[in-house]
Amino acid sequence: MSVITKQQEKMLSEMSDFFLDLLNLLKEKGVITNQEHRKFLLTGYEKLVEHLEKIKIISSKDANNAMKSGFTSLVSSLAK
Amino acid sequence: MDGWAGQRLRIDLTKGKITKEPLSLEYRKKWLGGRGFNSEVIYSEVPPEMSPFDPRTRVCFGVGPLSGTAAPSTGRVTVSCKSPLTGGFGDSSMGGHWGAEIKYAGYDQIIVQGKASKPVYVWMDDDKVEIKDASHLWGKFPRDADTMIKEELKDEDIHIMLIGPAGENLVRFACTFNDVWRAAGRTGHGAVIGSKNLKGIATRGSGSVKIARPKEFMEVCNKLRQKFKNDPMKMGLYELGSLCLINYANRDGWLPWKNLQFGGTPLANNMSGETHSKTVLKHREGCYACPICCGRFTSIKEGRWAGEEFGGPEYEHAVPTGPRVGIIEDANDIWHNARLTNDLGMDGIETGGVISAAMEWYQRGLITAKDTGGMELEWGNEDVVDQLIQDIAYRRGFGDILADGASRASDKLGLGHEGQYYTIATRGMTLPGDDPRGLGFGYGLSFAMGTRGGCDHLRSLCCLELSGALYPGLNTKYLGDERPMKPTTTAGKPYMVFYEENQKAVTDCLNVCCFTTHWSYACLTQDQLDYFNACTGLDMTLEEFLEVGERVHNLERAYWAHLMSGAREDVVPERFTKEPMPQHVDYQTNVGAILPIGEMLPKYYKYRDYEPGTGFPSERKLKQLGLDYVADDIRPLRKKYLTDSEKKKIKYYY
Repeated sequence: MSVITKQQEKMLSEMSDFFLDLLNLLKEKGVITNQEHRKFLLTGYEKLVEHLEKIKIISSKDANNAMKSGFTSLVSSLAK
Repeated sequence: MDGWAGQRLRIDLTKGKITKEPLSLEYRKKWLGGRGFNSEVIYSEVPPEMSPFDPRTRVCFGVGPLSGTAAPSTGRVTVSCKSPLTGGFGDSSMGGHWGAEIKYAGYDQIIVQGKASKPVYVWMDDDKVEIKDASHLWGKFPRDADTMIKEELKDEDIHIMLIGPAGENLVRFACTFNDVWRAAGRTGHGAVIGSKNLKGIATRGSGSVKIARPKEFMEVCNKLRQKFKNDPMKMGLYELGSLCLINYANRDGWLPWKNLQFGGTPLANNMSGETHSKTVLKHREGCYACPICCGRFTSIKEGRWAGEEFGGPEYEHAVPTGPRVGIIEDANDIWHNARLTNDLGMDGIETGGVISAAMEWYQRGLITAKDTGGMELEWGNEDVVDQLIQDIAYRRGFGDILADGASRASDKLGLGHEGQYYTIATRGMTLPGDDPRGLGFGYGLSFAMGTRGGCDHLRSLCCLELSGALYPGLNTKYLGDERPMKPTTTAGKPYMVFYEENQKAVTDCLNVCCFTTHWSYACLTQDQLDYFNACTGLDMTLEEFLEVGERVHNLERAYWAHLMSGAREDVVPERFTKEPMPQHVDYQTNVGAILPIGEMLPKYYKYRDYEPGTGFPSERKLKQLGLDYVADDIRPLRKKYLTDSEKKKIKYYY
């Protein structure tokens, strides 16, 4: 089941600076907690991807792609 | 006690009293060391309204838990004070070996307060600390004073922090040295030290640093040393020093030519690292435990300055009194000017910044030879630059006006807004020799936001932008996006600056050289955490570790809030936002670029959780960081900042 809508995927993909908005959205959807939001803001993108893989929001393959191709790949996985 | 020495030394020069104060584990975990310890003391003990030259003010020297260990490049010392240049929070950092010596003597921090009745120096011989007469050292260059103290104490292996004549003469951008040539250049603490009649601190330490988990610690250090062997930035810095940047800066249009009117010069190679190495490099010098060894020692062989020798220069030291003031044809002039500012004990950046601003005022007719005591401030006139550097240090004639820094000098001369336009400064301090229209928009954003004023190439240090291309995938690892490595884009820059500021603050708390942790990414944040935990025996998480950086950053920002400095002061020099970068070099890559600061600031504020109106750290953020007392302090200031009378004030410095 998709975590974000196609419209949200499009919005995030087109953003100049996406990270805070992505974290906010994931928190809104209950995917990450307040504390995790803070943690990933401080520690960065890779830690978020690792967490999403760990809690099975994305697959290992998606996680690899997210690290290889960046956030557009991640948001696409989240919209699948 | 593992890692830390666990105590600090407080020297009261008025009372001649020396005390040792224990530092609790809770305190150490909250502030880590170096910059963190110092910033906490400045915030808690130096009222923002106090004159930086008031005897009651403090100057702090801090080292970190890793200082004196085998972890790479852990020899740095943070020097902090209320800045006499900006009036706000000020600190700077220096390499060398003094930091390790402080630790071996048994201290994590030295706080100096009060004022001696006559010139003195401090002699720290392990736990024995004396205040000694320095009348015979007053007026001496650091290189001479260093030799004299070593002879006096009959020990050539001690390490000494010293100021030069500029500090004694209260030049507002005087700096501090240790091991003669390793400078903490910025924010003018040399003048604060001079105002206390303190010439220096000589240190001999015979102790050691206890490592909690030695095997694990050495494994991390050895792994990092292997990584450094093949690291591309390390190789460039070793071969050419930081002058390795000159030709890149020229190509990408961020080498300041004539007060940043242009981003390069066709003759830049005259002063490149390649040319320096071939012509005047005598040998390389490394700081404590450094795998890079970027330090240069220069020996001028030809021309009017033949025979001069000195440690340096760095990029940021050579550029200000070189191309920034229009000097490029004879690089020996540039090396000489760098030598002179070192010997006199002045920050090269502000020295070049104030002279280049004066030259532009002169170029545009805002001042004439009548104002300068007859000097014709023509670009590239080495005689004038040489004379002005000395006149500033000794506060003679027109130099006395310039000795207060570019922003104050403009006001003293009554040049109004136009004068300030040509001071390439923020919050009263001249920006380094890096034009953000070419170096990168992340740097531009960090220039507006630096917590020590007109900086900062060393506050955010957006090296994901500068050297990201050498480390494919690194921008994605941290930021999720490779676009930010392009200098002239706003993509990902707000988060980059937020991330790098926190990371750099942690690095400064550990007193690790940023060349090993930013420029070169052989050592990443996780590696820093690994050697920190192995050294101290703690098991801090990455989040807790970076939170210290965020805490330190917000505390410093709050200090500025006390001075009514917030959102209105988060600006860059108008030149960057109004003047598209002109072409001056055929192959220049950034022609037409302007800095879109307004596109980045609002998002950056959101990352920081700054209030949009005041730009002060939100109450929520301060409480989250365990800074409830700071939240209480600045609560009444929020309303005041938004009053009409405050809005009308034009602030260039404090």
